[in-house]
Amino acid sequence: MTTTLIVLPLAAALVVWLLPLPGRAVGTLALLVALVEVALWAVAVAGFGFDEGLQLQDRQSWFSDLGVSYHVGFYGFSLWLVGLTVVVCAAAIGYALWVNRERGRAYHGLLLFLMGSIVGVFTAQDLLLFYVFFEAMLIPIYVLIGVWGGPGRVRATATFVIYTMAGSLLMLAAIVVFGLSQGTFSLVDSGTSSNEWVFLGFLAAFAVKAPIFPFHGWLVAAYRESPPEVAAILSGVVSKAAVYGLVRIVIAKFPEPVDDFQVAILAFAAVGLVYGSLLAFRAPDLRSVTAYSSMAQMGLIVLGLFSLTELGVNGAILQSVAHGLVSATLFLLAGMVETRTGTSAFSALGGMARGRPALSTVLMTTGIIALAVPGSVAFAGEFLILAGVYDVGWGWAAVGAGAIVLAAMYMLRLISAVLHRAPGIDVRDEAPDLRAFELLLVVPLVAALLFLSAWPAAISEHSFSIGSSAAEATE
Amino acid sequence: MIAGAWLCLLAPLGGALAITLLGESSSRRTAAWISTLSVFVAFGGAVASFVGLLGRDHEEREVVTTAWTWLATGSFDVGLSLLVDPLSVTMMLIVSGVGGLIVLYSIGYMHGDPEERRYFAYMSLFVFSMLLLVQAGNFLLLLAGWGLVGLASYLLIGFWHERPAAVAAAKKAFVMNAFGDATMALAFFVLIWQTGTLDFETAFEGAGGMSQTVVDLVALGLLGGAVAKSAQIPLHTWLPDAMEGPTPVSALIHAATMVTAGVYLIVRAHPIFELAPSISDLAAGLGAITLLVAGLVALVQTDIKRVIAYSTMSQIGYMFLGAGLGAYGNGMFHLLTHAFFKALLFLAAGLVIHHLANEQDIRKMGGLRRAMPRTYVAFLVGSLALVGIPPLSGFFSKDSILASALASGGYGQLLFAAGLAGALLTGIYTFRLLFVVFLGEPSPLVHEHDHGPAHGEGPWTMTVPVAALAVLAVVGGWIQIAGIWHPFGEWLDPIAVGREHLALVEPTVTQDYVTSALAVGLGVVGIAVAWMLYGSRKWAVPRFAAVQETLEHKFWFDELYDAIFFRPAVFVSGLVRGGIEEPLIGGSISGVTLGAREAGGALGDAQTGYLRTYALAIAGAVAVLVVVFITVQ
Amino acid sequence: MLGPDVAWYLIVSAILFSIGTAGVLLRRSPLIVLLSLEIMLNSANLALIAFARLHGGHDGQIFALAVMAVAASEVVVGLGLIVAIARKRLDLDVDRLRVLRG
Repeated sequence: MTTTLIVLPLAAALVVWLLPLPGRAVGTLALLVALVEVALWAVAVAGFGFDEGLQLQDRQSWFSDLGVSYHVGFYGFSLWLVGLTVVVCAAAIGYALWVNRERGRAYHGLLLFLMGSIVGVFTAQDLLLFYVFFEAMLIPIYVLIGVWGGPGRVRATATFVIYTMAGSLLMLAAIVVFGLSQGTFSLVDSGTSSNEWVFLGFLAAFAVKAPIFPFHGWLVAAYRESPPEVAAILSGVVSKAAVYGLVRIVIAKFPEPVDDFQVAILAFAAVGLVYGSLLAFRAPDLRSVTAYSSMAQMGLIVLGLFSLTELGVNGAILQSVAHGLVSATLFLLAGMVETRTGTSAFSALGGMARGRPALSTVLMTTGIIALAVPGSVAFAGEFLILAGVYDVGWGWAAVGAGAIVLAAMYMLRLISAVLHRAPGIDVRDEAPDLRAFELLLVVPLVAALLFLSAWPAAISEHSFSIGSSAAEATE
Repeated sequence: MIAGAWLCLLAPLGGALAITLLGESSSRRTAAWISTLSVFVAFGGAVASFVGLLGRDHEEREVVTTAWTWLATGSFDVGLSLLVDPLSVTMMLIVSGVGGLIVLYSIGYMHGDPEERRYFAYMSLFVFSMLLLVQAGNFLLLLAGWGLVGLASYLLIGFWHERPAAVAAAKKAFVMNAFGDATMALAFFVLIWQTGTLDFETAFEGAGGMSQTVVDLVALGLLGGAVAKSAQIPLHTWLPDAMEGPTPVSALIHAATMVTAGVYLIVRAHPIFELAPSISDLAAGLGAITLLVAGLVALVQTDIKRVIAYSTMSQIGYMFLGAGLGAYGNGMFHLLTHAFFKALLFLAAGLVIHHLANEQDIRKMGGLRRAMPRTYVAFLVGSLALVGIPPLSGFFSKDSILASALASGGYGQLLFAAGLAGALLTGIYTFRLLFVVFLGEPSPLVHEHDHGPAHGEGPWTMTVPVAALAVLAVVGGWIQIAGIWHPFGEWLDPIAVGREHLALVEPTVTQDYVTSALAVGLGVVGIAVAWMLYGSRKWAVPRFAAVQETLEHKFWFDELYDAIFFRPAVFVSGLVRGGIEEPLIGGSISGVTLGAREAGGALGDAQTGYLRTYALAIAGAVAVLVVVFITVQ
Repeated sequence: MLGPDVAWYLIVSAILFSIGTAGVLLRRSPLIVLLSLEIMLNSANLALIAFARLHGGHDGQIFALAVMAVAASEVVVGLGLIVAIARKRLDLDVDRLRVLRG
């Protein structure tokens, strides 16, 4: 099952690249594959035993003398992250279909390839395999932004690639050293290590991916220049690869270095949270606000992870899913606004609520959940994270609580700038409300958010079981 | 009874969802009626719960019902639980009852607005949120309701979102409330780590074992939220601005229900506040300060709604005073009566505004009594109740609070004096409003809109709720007469934790009479002063420039907050962007590319192009290797 | 064994190698450089044969044949380059031919 989930999109990508189908047909095929993925994932959830540790495993030996194997499987929390992936990617593919991208075959193939590699990242239980999928994520993003992106795409792509590669190479070195010293590359079989350099190597890669301040230089340009659906995947899903890596590898395998560096990492995460919020508060357009907000939220999530408490880590997973959905929806909505007005700059927008009830409702609902209004799933995640980090010191929780207020400020500013007051220069009366297909893309995401808001325990109670080594490492 | 509670909670939510999903396919009228009926159904559910509780013994009047586990991880779990006890049922009745009347009123008031459906969806959402808040069986769910109420308030204040002033006011309200949410969350973190749970009962038990500092912190965090939500000083500046919303919104949210949530919280969490007497005293003190400041500012307001808004702030100050001193029952009693007469005043003001085509400036009004006689009566009833003239409701409730203050020792007596001063101010500003708007010669504006007595003062959907509230404002206080019969106090007794009676202080009969005499006397003096200044205009209005300035600028709070919070935030943000972000992003990338290029250039210099250089390099390398192989084994 | 000690062969090989190296490094004409390279290769061949004689096996001799084959191919390429350069009427001077530089 797990291998199917990984291979299906990859195989579909190949098919799409090879078969000479016309534009819309390719998109429809890709969307169908994505929906099948979602269905398969749902089946996996239905049969999942949340108290039983690693499940749905597939294992094949690869380089037996090194101890490298093809080993994939699901934990509770990775199941939710994969769910996030398949849902967001399906919405993104649907969006690409709707917008009818040029060179559709290449485009949809790349999206499918991306989806497959991300699922691989979340399910890999062998370090080398993890690395392969981690790098494989990079290639489609590089091409997608570099070819189909906005005016500043070359610089954005170069920056993105340089940052990511720098982190990844450090991680590769760390992987090699760790694997050789442990005698095996399998995450399940290997024990823990107290080597600080190896720990830092891994941390570097995930710090860039998340991103954690100050390794975020690639963030804003990449989110601004990429096509909206790629930005949705980037901020909603790819950044969570860092979360998975931090939980599965860093925290689980390096207990002593994590303890030693805990305060430093918490500090960087807290700085990122405040820094991102402050910059979001002044950012001049939809994309930048969502980008900085993303950075702030990832800072919050890392804060939760490194609280090393049950509350904090579970909250981090819950928040990862919540933020993934929120961020993806916001980017898709930004794309929809951009196609109608040609811009996402606040100075040219405004008053879009008039005559557009669907856009108004969806954007407001998403924005309000984004700012973690109490009662929403984002609030539940944030509450758990801050409750967890309170145990490390009340100051961390106070900083986080302050960030709640900042989030209210910048999100309301975003909502008002787009929807309220007088219509902006670029807002024409003819710009239509959200069409049926567009609603079909975003409404499921929003519905998922509302469902989780009514029942966040769905995720928080079903993430970590007694048997998983990741859970043992926390607390 | 349990079913009643769930029905009460879910009916308005169902209404909101129905209106949203039906969208444009329902007529505006239909949406309005869906919303109104959903709130009345909620009221029915509340009555059912009330009757159910009445049928039980004193000790058994506390029922918790849980639907499912909302949030859980490991040992910590929070259920979606409702608590049905006298306190929550009282609030349910007020919210759904007064709420229902106000939503009914909105049908007439909002008639013709193109976005009526959105309005009614938001109103239903608000009622649901407020009910969630008062019915929550644990602190987290209460916080959820708390936040959703803030959200609904934002949506409704900013309802006419094409007006920048409305949008700004909505944001301000939300952000100030978010601050309160943050302090409450911090208090909850402490509770979780100290007691392991956020359920009311278990948390209250565990609170007994906490050190004084810790309990104080928890109480302070809760107080922060209460102060923000109830617009007490220092987190009060959002309330007057909130008058940008439609008048029924002001009546429901900013008079009868949302702003009273802070009082509810203090009463609900009274075990914690009792363990932290310094914080309770702080709450009472803030209430006293607020009631004075708000009363003073109300004296110079020229917008009819803002006078009433400041009046609300002031009256909630009384409730905080009562709750802070331990007179929980009296505080709740005043909450109840205040809901009646304040909503009445707002709705009557709404009739005036509606009649005068959205004019709210009282300086343009005057002599409206002739054109709107019944509205005048309603306004008069509300004003009398507000000032506390017997036998109207405000008399019984306000004076009970003041009596409890008098009975609470030195500090209480200081607050008692403040409360009396407030009574005088209340008399003056309330009747200033009445006289300026309704008495005297009709102003030019009033003449313009005078369509003759046949025109009526509004549709039945507007006049009936006003009439109903007027009746309630008159008789609502008769359920508790200090010193004689206390059914309301006894009704609330079961929520006391660890003792028989809820109230911490019981004034003596003498204190009751003295207080009432003084308060009524001062109120009447206030009315007389207002009459001399604004009614018969025998005295000139004293104008001291500095005092006038300060009052008009509402004691400069807005300017202060702008300087302390908003400007620095903008400044720091700009600084961060210019000083850190831009160099970081620009610098790191050009740094990397420049570095790479220079390294490449340096290495490139080794490619001289001379064959002999290369040959020499090879020869040299070989020589070194030879030496190495010979010397190293 | 017939003839002088293997050591003397190695000494001759070393001398030839140094002469060849000196020629490569110090001469300016590419033709002479090629010649010197040939001398170096032959010195290596001599050393290989000498060691083969020393150890009694034939490995060195076979390897020397391989070296000869490589030398021949390399000379062909080198001479071809030199003829091409001469045809272009460029100076046959190693110090002047430096277009391929970084």
